[in-house]
Amino acid sequence: MGLFVPKLALSRRQLLQWSAISGVGLLMGSCDGEPLTTKVGQVFEPLNQRLQELLLSQNPVPEYSMKDIEPDKLLINTFDATPQIDPAKFQLKIDGEVKQPLQLGMADIQKLPLTSMIIRHVCVEGWSAIVQWGGVRLRDLATLAQPKSSARYVFFKSADGYYESWDLASAFHPQTLMAYQKNGQLLSADNGAPLRLASPIKLGYKQSKWVTQITFLNELVPMKGYWEDLGYEWFAGI
Amino acid sequence: MASSSIPAKRSKSPPAPKQRLFAKIFHWVNIISLFVMMTSGLQIYNANPVFGGRGGWHFPDFLVLGGWLGGGRNWHFAAMWFFALNLLWYGLYIFITRRWKNRFASSSDVKALKASQNVKRKNYALHRLVYTVILPILLLSIFSGLAMYKPAQLHWLSALFSNWQTLRVVHFLAIPTVIMFVLVHSWLALKVGSIRLVKSMFF
Repeated sequence: MGLFVPKLALSRRQLLQWSAISGVGLLMGSCDGEPLTTKVGQVFEPLNQRLQELLLSQNPVPEYSMKDIEPDKLLINTFDATPQIDPAKFQLKIDGEVKQPLQLGMADIQKLPLTSMIIRHVCVEGWSAIVQWGGVRLRDLATLAQPKSSARYVFFKSADGYYESWDLASAFHPQTLMAYQKNGQLLSADNGAPLRLASPIKLGYKQSKWVTQITFLNELVPMKGYWEDLGYEWFAGI
Repeated sequence: MASSSIPAKRSKSPPAPKQRLFAKIFHWVNIISLFVMMTSGLQIYNANPVFGGRGGWHFPDFLVLGGWLGGGRNWHFAAMWFFALNLLWYGLYIFITRRWKNRFASSSDVKALKASQNVKRKNYALHRLVYTVILPILLLSIFSGLAMYKPAQLHWLSALFSNWQTLRVVHFLAIPTVIMFVLVHSWLALKVGSIRLVKSMFF
């Protein structure tokens, strides 16, 4: 029995063609959850973040009207269990790089000026929902605690163990609220009662529910955020 | 009479077409960045399918890049720079070198398609028409992508797409359109200039 072995002679051109084709194949097959994918994020996320910081403006994002609200489109995402918090016993702690650390109950918070907005809530997964949120501006809460000039970031701790950190400019945006109302009603436990972050300028995973502590920071801590530590973008400005 | 210096039989084919280095780089960057954009885009699609939401049909693993949503986003928002800037350089090149005046399909191509008896002229007209039409489609994929990437800061852009679902559908349609284009464009290039033309655009 004879074996027919074709003569293999690769020209430079053929070699180039094949290396291009197999390069694409390699890219396709090898980077699922592997260091290359992480590396790509590390290289390009600083550039993308710079772009988002440039785009960020302190002007309010145009809002929608009541009839645009999409009550069925706001899906519930949680990383763990849904905490049941008694609003009568709830205390929000504000501390860190502030001159006046303080604790506020829900009654104290509801005495502050109420801001209502109808905005688009955008999830990293690709869906979005037009929602009305009502609550107190984070910048108004900050005024009470008087952040020091060294404060550059804000860290949010939630009752379910979720955590997030924001840049100060986004936290002080006029539409960044600590919300206690949704679509004209008191917030439900699923949506983050009694108090949650709500803002049109960040992706949904930045908008912590069940927030119990707001800490002003000079520097970011290694715990940037629950999803960020798993690989999502930190700035996540939209 | 003495034999002339011209050989009796010329070699079978005319000299191989030569392309500018710029045209070759443009083709390479386009094909690779679009491949990454599409496969990572399908990864993002799978996080919440455009058609049917969470209960909708998902693309199989071998078509998607990045391993998970976060990884898909890493690739998508890296490749976007190569894809968009490549198109921008191309636009500037076409504009500055005044190639836009005769590079794209014109009324004479449409006339040829309708009335010409010359098959070669007709193929050429169709080829020009197809690669002209893909340019606004690629631009639309950039603008619909930006509108979804920064819907708050670029709210004026998002507002052009009437609603979120329309925006998602328009952006998604870039994938089947580009795949169709690659097939038709390659096929027409083969008809117009054979494999030599196709090779000249890359090597």
